[in-house]
Amino acid sequence: MNSEPIITIENVYKSFGHVKAVVDVSMEVYPGEVVVIIGPSGGGKSTLLRCINKLETIDRGRIVVDGYSISETKNINKVRAEIGMVFQLFNLFPHLTALENITLAQRVVRKRGEKEAKRVAHEQLEKVGIGEKWDSYPSQLSGGQQQRVAIARALAMDPKIMLFDEPTSALDPEMIKGVLDVMLDLAEEGMTMVVVSHEMGFVRAAADRVALLDEGSVVEVTTPEKLFAAPEQDRTKQFLSQILH
Amino acid sequence: MTAEAKEARRGRILPFTISWRSVPWWAVILAIVGIFVGWSVLTSQAYLDALSFIVDGVKLTLQVTIISYLIGLVVGLIFGLMRVSDNPIFYAFSTLYVEVMRGVPLLVIILYMGFVVTPRLRQATGGQIDLQGLPAAILAIAICYGAYMAEVYRGGIESIEHGQMEAARSLGMNYMQAMRHVVLPQAIRRILPPLGNNLISMLKDSSLISVIALNDLLQTGRLYVSRTYRAFEGYNSVALLYLTMTLFLSLVVRIVERKAAIE
Repeated sequence: MNSEPIITIENVYKSFGHVKAVVDVSMEVYPGEVVVIIGPSGGGKSTLLRCINKLETIDRGRIVVDGYSISETKNINKVRAEIGMVFQLFNLFPHLTALENITLAQRVVRKRGEKEAKRVAHEQLEKVGIGEKWDSYPSQLSGGQQQRVAIARALAMDPKIMLFDEPTSALDPEMIKGVLDVMLDLAEEGMTMVVVSHEMGFVRAAADRVALLDEGSVVEVTTPEKLFAAPEQDRTKQFLSQILH
Repeated sequence: MTAEAKEARRGRILPFTISWRSVPWWAVILAIVGIFVGWSVLTSQAYLDALSFIVDGVKLTLQVTIISYLIGLVVGLIFGLMRVSDNPIFYAFSTLYVEVMRGVPLLVIILYMGFVVTPRLRQATGGQIDLQGLPAAILAIAICYGAYMAEVYRGGIESIEHGQMEAARSLGMNYMQAMRHVVLPQAIRRILPPLGNNLISMLKDSSLISVIALNDLLQTGRLYVSRTYRAFEGYNSVALLYLTMTLFLSLVVRIVERKAAIE
């Protein structure tokens, strides 16, 4: 990978009151790369991810996404439109149908016409495998289906980067595979992805690099092969032994 | 949208039917009392006289209620949004408004509007702005209820999970777009019951405007009593007319709530 990084994180700090969530983290993500962040709960994984699109404002340091400094840019909304985000609890809009969930931001933010927005929405729903559910409300869908609508909603904005915040941890076991398959397809298409997840199957299949975050700091950044074969840090070994039964 | 999908959408809204099981006991009692009252009214010349005189006041009562409710809805929305705003000036200003308006009795606000603000404003503008009468009454009720409604809106907005705002913002919507397209539509569904109750309270509280000599329902009733000395028939008729209107409104509010609750 010899191109410029699309996400640059430099010495970022973030605290909530006395709790230090992210401590001096630096990281780079290159276009087309899939980076998975793992680590114990409370380790700052989600917070770091949310700092990338400014859902959390950082205390110190610098995050540059696609050439825009996140903490300095005047138009954060423009940058956010380029960064798709998928949440642990889906956060679909319950008063809108699946289709309307996907067309809303296209019309309001991307200023697409209704026809165009609907066409894109149908296309994305087909892509995530639930094209026939376009007229359902979120409450009528299973967790896995809701998460796939949420992914389609983010993709419809034609983002350059996708952030996934524990996308499968609120799902029933039999729902997980459908969502992971969609993510694997995305990775194969060359989407730049930053994923917070403990799905080791996904790490093995799709990750280019894996970062272990503990107590707000990066313990180790490595490749999946090295991670499973011979992690360098004791902390990484210990964490892996706990999640790989 | 296909015809089939339209059908499915329509199917989610309950048809307007009232089954006997859903009729509450108090409605049965009221209906029985209503029949008795109706019968005695229709067969008594005294009540017919009283009612035909007093019914003229209904128009003004309804007019004041509806107009001040509509203004109150808008005022409440604006101040409710300011109450949840991160902007410290908006927040402080709206909090001051809400606390002052909720801390002063509506009767005092109406008197103040009618006998302090109106004459002063007329003097200051050389008669250009004259709120005398109806406008003063409507404004007094609207700004007072606007404060209560602001708190209702605020509660509704705060009841929507923060993830909704985050999801909307993460798609690139600005704060107001997210508010308008995502948070408010959900919040308003949740606050329809209290907003409906506000309408009913407003109808009753509009009787206070009789103190600035407006011929609303209560004032007309008092006029009838002072002319005929028939306090019994006079005030019975006033109460009956208010009750008819509030019962009708609470029925409407129920129907609207039900329709909105279906998601």
